[in-house]
Amino acid sequence: MNVVKAAVLRYRVMAYVTGVVLIVLCFVGIPLQVAGKPAVANDVGVVHGILYIIYLINAWILSRKLKLENKPTVIMLLAGTVPIMTFIVERWISRRFIAPALASQVPAPEPVRPG
Amino acid sequence: MSFGVTLHGMENAGTAAPSPGAVPSPSSGPSPSSGPSPSSGPSPSSGPSPSSGPVWRFLIQPRWLGWHLLMVVSFWGMLWLGDWQFHRALSGNALSWAYTFEWPLFAGFAVVFWAKTIRDEFRIRRGEIADPRAMAAQLPAGMGIAQASVVAGLDDGGDEDEELSAYNAYLARLNAEVKDHGRWHGLR
Repeated sequence: MNVVKAAVLRYRVMAYVTGVVLIVLCFVGIPLQVAGKPAVANDVGVVHGILYIIYLINAWILSRKLKLENKPTVIMLLAGTVPIMTFIVERWISRRFIAPALASQVPAPEPVRPG
Repeated sequence: MSFGVTLHGMENAGTAAPSPGAVPSPSSGPSPSSGPSPSSGPSPSSGPSPSSGPVWRFLIQPRWLGWHLLMVVSFWGMLWLGDWQFHRALSGNALSWAYTFEWPLFAGFAVVFWAKTIRDEFRIRRGEIADPRAMAAQLPAGMGIAQASVVAGLDDGGDEDEELSAYNAYLARLNAEVKDHGRWHGLR
């Protein structure tokens, strides 16, 4: 596995893990906290904090590998703090930047034809 | 593993934060010793020319001033948040200790990101590395070298067949045609 594919894999894993934990935090932990039971929000909050650091580093490494411009990079980095946004941004980054970059490295046995 | 890569990059970034006074004159131009450069391709129809004025001049362009402002605000904002969490931690909130260390880490990350981005921009403008914008004639804005080389067939190992190359050329032409429709105005 080459470096770009490895970076893509690490980014995708962290995007999904961080995204799921953030959804748990926002849609389970916060309501419980409002209801007077802050234990879940506290624990999941710390977990998300740690995961987000790892996500941040991996997303940034991927943006360097893909040589992304500033704006998509910032969007990618901040996506880990907005619920559901990691999934949306991951799809967008994949379609727009990752797929073209990987196409150069893996000579597809069956290249997709137009029409 | 990923931490090692990043820390290595951070060391570079610390020493590479450019000061405008130390920038060589634009007459240094592209250096031929930096190996084969794909930037000899079609030049961008828009955007600043590398040879107009001192190299550091781009730093005071409005879009770059915007990035500097965002950088300063986010840096001090995150330090302030760390300080706030520190005081919460001192007053008995054990959970805040984690955030006390996390916010300064994020602030440092913003500095590293900013410094490396500026360093890359200087390298591009001195011609030391290929300009992703040189591919702008073929690619939607926001795409960089890694994608552009696919279209240009620059870094394939010779294992790409003719049919695929033709298809890539077709894609490049489509990209050029729809380039300005719903275009992503990437900041650079």
